[in-house]
Order: sequence, then structure tokens, then C-alpha cells
Amino acid sequence: MPDSQGPLPSAASGHSAASSIFAPARRELCDEIARGHAGRTALARYTERFDVLVRQLFAAAPPPRQPVAVVAVGGYGRRQLCLYSDIDLLVLFGGRIAEAEERFLRGLLHPLWDLGLVVGHHVRDIEDFERLDVDNPEFLLALVDARPIDGSLALFEWFAAAFHTPAAHAHVVDALATLVDGRHARFNSTLYQLEPDVKDAPGALRDVMAARTIAALTDPALLWQGPEDPARLDEAEDFLLRIRSVLHLDAQRNHNVLTHALQERVADLLGYPGPRPQERVERLMGDYFRHARIVTRSLAWARRAAPVPVGANLGRTRDGIRFIDVRQAAVQPATWVGAFQAAIDANCAVSDDALACIRQHAGRFTIDDFLPTSAHRAALVRFLKPRAGLYARLSEMHDCGLLVCLFPPLKHITSRVVRDFYHKYTVDEHTLLAIRTVERLAVRAPGDRERFVSLLQDLDAPELLVLSLLLHDVGKGSGGDHAMESARMSRGTLVQVGLEPGAQELVEFLIANHLVMSQIAFRRDTEDPEIVRQFASLIAVEQRLKLMCLMTVADIDAIGPDTLTPWRAELLWRLYIDTYNHLTLGYGDDLIEGNPSGISELIANRPRDVPGAEIARFLEGLPRRYLQLFDPEAIYRHVRLSRDIHPDELHLALGQKRSAWEMTVVTLDKPFLFSNICGVLSSFGMDILRGHAMTNPNGLVLDVFQFTDRERFLELNGDAREQIFRLLEEVVSGRTSVTERLRGREQSLVHRRPARVVPVVHCDNDSSKRFTILDITADDAFGLLYRISRTISQHGCDVDLVLIATEGHKAIDVFHITKAGAKLSEPEHVALATHLQRTLEGSHEVDQEHHPAAQG
Amino acid sequence: MKLIKSIIRPHKVDDVKDALGLLNISGITVSEVRGHGKQKGHTAVYRGKEYDVTLLPKMEIEVVVPDAIVEEAIKAVVEAARTGEIGDGRVFVLPVEQTYRIRTGERDGM
Repeated sequence: MPDSQGPLPSAASGHSAASSIFAPARRELCDEIARGHAGRTALARYTERFDVLVRQLFAAAPPPRQPVAVVAVGGYGRRQLCLYSDIDLLVLFGGRIAEAEERFLRGLLHPLWDLGLVVGHHVRDIEDFERLDVDNPEFLLALVDARPIDGSLALFEWFAAAFHTPAAHAHVVDALATLVDGRHARFNSTLYQLEPDVKDAPGALRDVMAARTIAALTDPALLWQGPEDPARLDEAEDFLLRIRSVLHLDAQRNHNVLTHALQERVADLLGYPGPRPQERVERLMGDYFRHARIVTRSLAWARRAAPVPVGANLGRTRDGIRFIDVRQAAVQPATWVGAFQAAIDANCAVSDDALACIRQHAGRFTIDDFLPTSAHRAALVRFLKPRAGLYARLSEMHDCGLLVCLFPPLKHITSRVVRDFYHKYTVDEHTLLAIRTVERLAVRAPGDRERFVSLLQDLDAPELLVLSLLLHDVGKGSGGDHAMESARMSRGTLVQVGLEPGAQELVEFLIANHLVMSQIAFRRDTEDPEIVRQFASLIAVEQRLKLMCLMTVADIDAIGPDTLTPWRAELLWRLYIDTYNHLTLGYGDDLIEGNPSGISELIANRPRDVPGAEIARFLEGLPRRYLQLFDPEAIYRHVRLSRDIHPDELHLALGQKRSAWEMTVVTLDKPFLFSNICGVLSSFGMDILRGHAMTNPNGLVLDVFQFTDRERFLELNGDAREQIFRLLEEVVSGRTSVTERLRGREQSLVHRRPARVVPVVHCDNDSSKRFTILDITADDAFGLLYRISRTISQHGCDVDLVLIATEGHKAIDVFHITKAGAKLSEPEHVALATHLQRTLEGSHEVDQEHHPAAQG
Repeated sequence: MKLIKSIIRPHKVDDVKDALGLLNISGITVSEVRGHGKQKGHTAVYRGKEYDVTLLPKMEIEVVVPDAIVEEAIKAVVEAARTGEIGDGRVFVLPVEQTYRIRTGERDGM
């Protein structure tokens, strides 16, 4: 393609040049039509002449400031311009369209109009293609045949890459089906028209285009596998184009209906023999219907057999997800997991031919070939997220050998038989069935299992549960303690799949201890508080407890069909509840004091910029569970954030953690601090999912919030972080009130959605030596934490520790509070609980301004 | 012959089984059951919801023993199943008129 910055003849000379090219080209085409030869070849030649004309006009037009590409689309793109076809052009600019670009457009288009042509032009700038224009299916369809004529090739290639995605292809194929059905309906869905429209009727030119488009977007080899030889489809198209050309010439316009009156002339021009016109017409129409049947069968096959594009080289067919190009797939093992991911997304199987391809070639590759980048490793871990179809897809992966390639320790348990009284299946199948139990919980199990569903919903990273289950028994048969051996054998794999250190440690812990909970639940006296305390001490944090409980349930359930009896489930659940209550209600009493073992390790492994004394000072007086909640890297970050903190200052960090955002706030305690931070996050539309708030005896506050940003504020605003940080500082320092910002949102949101969870405020003055504990369950409504914590502060209470969790639509928040350094008296906690209950039921609004004497 | 039916804490099954084994009592039936006696359970709170723990999981052990060792067997069960706390369970002793072996149809005299 010539460069767009070529010499610039004047508009007048451009018009003259246009005429000098266009007139002879038309004459030549008319001659071909008169001979009955204006089919595919003649039209392609005419189209090429037209390309020369467009290039001339491009060169003559005033140059735009932005890069530009002129692209033929639709029939012009297919090189099938008939005598009176519309000229479908896409003019694509590399930036905003301004005066210079408009001048260019006039220079390009006016000469075409002056020639009497109907120009179907689309003018777009490149940003228009950042999102698919799903409301304009005809335009999208025209883009399928896009062909660069002149201008910036790089711009055209950018556009092509943006357009040719599996999602766009799937959408176009869907839209095309709707258009075809609608068009056919106009002809009563029969090709046997006595006066057929050779462009629109069933079996006519648009159907040829539809069949070819479906193949191009789904599987280029599709038409070769169908009932008709593609060469016969070419012949049919050529035949239809020759007729169409005659119709245009005869009508001197874009007329496509082969009327009775015109049939005789077309038969003559196309050279049909016969002594009488009637015979010649019958032969013509006989051929027409024969070709139309070929077209119809080809299109029907394409529609029936076309895979729906679901990923790069992946399509969905009736047989499941298959590789479009098997030879390409055979040498691209990094794409294989994508086939199983696509199958889960489409709720179907992976096709037998795709599995056969993987089975045949899997042994040739190393794990680095399957997981060459961190994106591939992250995708594999994401794939393990429990949802419908996971067990079936993992079974397929295992059957074709891919699972062992990805998780090599599994080869030790493939088809392994362990003879004991309980197990009913081989170890590998037991493993997969355990994952099936989790999958069933994810899609909501009925009956007794339902309570475990809530645990799964509350997991931060449920895929780690599945990963733990996948590897929990790989040490079986190795002799000795198989749980410990499984953990040891899994270590390398956890690194290879790219888990961060905290997640690695968690999965190893779960594998190594996967028998502990069942042993305690079924073989120890769980009514003994000391047994529960010891178990809680091992587990340390609620997320681990939930993971451990679910892992135990799944492991037992996968032993045999009747192993997890309601009785056993009950014992597990009781142990879970007792341990959960121990963890959530008692943790405020168990503080880091002196130099426990965890701290020594932290100090020994500290980075250079963090002195050991600084770590010890930061940790002193924080709950001991802090050491389990956060990995060493996070703790070092917190220590750095706590440096040089002064009253009214906030030290903040904000980053993405999996699907949520995580904000860490370090500051010094002051009235209404917690509610103000929650309020600011809510005022930006953030939905707080989980978090921890802690205070040490020196008044240093560490709050960690995980939240979702449904309104995509952080994504869409370049200075979003600065806005949030600025408002936090202003609100915490008292320069701005967050109440006003929240009022509008609260009014609109609180009343829009009916509550699905009845709020419950449980006040516990016994479980902790130091704190009154408020255990609050309520509908996960907008600004809930703000309203709760503000009410607490209004009662003059200090919020010392907070656990924030969300379980589906339910918010579960546990506040450890004091008033003037002591637990609340009974009248005080009754008054607070009553106020909170009314607030949560919506019958008592939070006061507009905080009480000056209140602390929190 | 007597049927000794013991409702015990789940974690005491192995201890009771071992104790009965020392008396050469090998035929034993173990069932998972739920119920309450004087203990009546208690109410736990989990995430704001009162959780009914009235019907407690227990194990039921049934053995049929000759009259001559009934007292010894009862003593073995009680000692093995005892923790000293409320909820240790109960032992019921019922007369057995006859027993038959299903495989052979033979009446068992024990």
C-alpha cells in the first residue's frame, strides 16, 4: 500500500483522473455483461480498477493530520462490485476526527458522488473499535471482508487485531444467523421463487456470503467437510453474479429481482440454447434452482457444523470444545488448558478429537511448555476455581494425560489401589471425587451439606482448596505418614504453578494436616475446651479453618458413597463452630508479647531496610493471630508504613489482590477513625468484602480492607488513588465530613433493595477477658460497616479489633470494643445492641454528625 | 443372655471396643445415633444465628453376652466410656431369649 503522505494533486485533477479510470472500467464491465461473462472474475477485475481509482482519490485528497486507512468492506471488500453496487468504504483514522480529517473525507468522497456512485461509507476513529459495536450487526458483518486499499497499513492491522477476536467472531456468527433467518422469512423461507431476488432470496448471493463468512470466522476448512464441493459453491456464486450483472445493466440501477420479464433476456445473454424463449427460460431457471440448492445446503451445513469461536484456535461444536486447527494445537501445549477452561465456560465437554490430540502429544512436552508465562500459570490456578463442570473437565484432563503433566506428583497415584476397609476407589479417582464434592457445594448442595456451602462462599481463594485436594494424597503408598509425604512431594509443583509464598504455605499446611480435623472430630472429646483450643491454635485463622473443614468434608465424602453420614457431618460442623468461635471471640486476649518464635524468624529473614527492633516494636501488643494472617512480606510492608506516623496522618497502600482491591491503612487511633475510613470507601462506591482492624496498646492502628470496585472507579479514573487518599486524609483529620458524601448514595441504595438477611446483633461479654464482643450479621448493604461503626462510636466505645467477612449477601462483622478501657456494663451493651439493631433494621438513621465526646 | 446397649461419646468407641475385647467379646454392633439424656445439649451461636445442638451425636454399641459375664461387661463399658462429665452416656441391659445364625439357621446357645 502506498504511503498516505504522497504527492497531492488538486481536487479537480483528482476528479478528472477518477473519470478517466472509472469510465473505461465500466465500459469494460458492460461488455463482459453483454457477453454473459460478468461473473466472479470479471467483477474482481472491475473491483481492482476501482481500487486504483480510490488510491488516486486518496492521493489527491488534502492530507489529514491523523494517520488514516481506507478500507474496502462488504461486497467491495469481497471484490464483487457489480455495476450499480454500493461502494462500501471504511475510513479509519488513528485519532480524533477534526477539520483536517473532514477535508480529507470531502476530497475522497465527493469525486465518488460526482461519478454518481452510491457510497456506503463508515468513518471511525480507532477508539471506536476498543469495544465491539454489538448494535450494528450489518456493519460488523461488512467488516469481516475488510481489505486495505490505501493509507496506514499499521492502522489497518491494529483494527484487524481488535476486530478478529473469538468473542467478536462468536457475536458476528450469532448476528449473522439472526439476519439470515429474518431475510429468509421475507421469502417464506423457500428458495423456489418464480421471480427470485438473486441477492437476498434463500439460496442466493447473500447466502453464499453467509456460508463463507461462517467458515472464515469459525473454521476455514469447514466448507471442505460439508456435503457440497466448495468448487460447486464457487460455480453457483459465479452463476448468480452473472445474472445479477445483467439485471443491473438492464435496469440501470441496483436491481436484483429476476422477474419473468427479465428471465428471457438473461437466458439469452447467458447463452441458453433452445428454439423457443420458454425453453431457454426453463433451462435458466432449472440451473438457478440447482445452484440455489447447492448454496442452501452449504449454508445449512456451515450453520450446523460451525464451531462457535470461544478462544484462540478453539471452537464449540456439538461434540464439545475442539481445536480449529489440530496441527497447530499439537505444537502449542500452552493453549491446552484453555480448551478445558472454555469447556467449563460453555458448560460442555472437550471433544474427543481434542483429547486425542492432547493424549498423542502430551508426553513430548515439559511443564515449562505448558506453563511458559506467569499468565499461563495464573490461568491454571484460576481454572481450579470450583464450579459446575470442574470434576468432569479434570477427569478428561486426567484421562488424556494432561493433568499429570501439569501436576507431576499425580503420577504416583494414577490408578493406585489402597486396600483398606473404607476406600472404594483408586486414589486418583478419590482425589477427583473430593473435588466433585466441592463443586457440588459450589453449585449449592441440598440438605445437610448446605451449611458447608456458606463456608465455600466465604473463601478468599477457593481454587486453593481444589489445589490442596488435588495433591492431598499424592504421598499415598510411599509408606509412613502420607499426609506429610504429600505435602513434601507437592512443594515443587506449587512453585511451578506460580503460587505466591503465602498461598504455597497455605496449601502445604492443608495437605500436611488434612487428616487432623477428622481425627479430632471423630476420635477426640470435642466437648473438652482444651481440645478445641489446641485445634484452634494449629489452625490460627478463620480462612484456614474454613478451608480445613471443607477439605475434610470433601475428603471423607470421596471415600465412598455413604461415608459422610449426617452424623459425621454434624460432628465436623460442631467442631468447626466451636473452633470458629474460639478464633473470633478469643483472639483479642492473645497478644504478641516479648519475643515469640514467629518474631525471631521474621527478624532473622528481614530485608535490609527494616531493622529488627522496628519489627519488634511494631508487633508488640498486636493480636498474635496477626502473624498468621499476614505473610512476612506483608508484615515488612506494614512496618514500613508505620514509620514516622504522626497524629492525623495516614500511611496508605492500595493494590489489587486477586479479584478484589486491598487497602492498608496505618495511622494513630482517634475518635470515629474506623467508621470514617469505611465511610470514605463507601462514598467511592466500594463494597468492603473482608478485612481486619487492629490496634496496639500505643494507639497504632492497622486496618486492612479488601473491597470490590463495582463502579470501576479505580480503573476508569487515572487519579482515583489520589482522590481516595486525599479524601481519607481530609476526613480523618476532621477537615471534611464524609456523611454528606454518603447521604445521597444511602438514600438511593438503601431503599432500592429489600433486605435479604434479618439483622442480628449478638453481644458477648464472656468470651474475652478484655473486650465486649459484638457479633453482627446483616444484609450486605451499602455503607453497612460505616453505619455500624459510627453507631458504636456514638456510644463512646473504642473499636479495638474488627473482623470483617462477607458470605454471599450476608455480612458478618465481629467487633471487639471497650469503653474507657473496660468492657461495657450490661446497661451499656444492651443500649448499644438495641441502637444497632434499630440502625440495621433501618428504623433509626445514624446521626448526621458525630458526638464530640465519642471515641472510636 | 443379655443384650448390652451402650450410648457413649463418639471418641470412646475404640476404648470400649478394646475393653470388651479383653473379655473376649468380639461380636459387636456400632451405630451412629443422635439424642440426648439429662445433658440435653446447649445452644451455640454462629454468625448471629442460634444453632441448635440439642440432639448430640453419640455412638451406640450393642453386644450380646452370656449371663455369666454381664456384670463384667457392663463394668468394662462404663469404665472405658467414662470421662466424669455430663454426657458420658447410658448402658441398657435387655434380656435375650434366643439367637440364630442366619447362614446356617443354627440356634446359638452361647
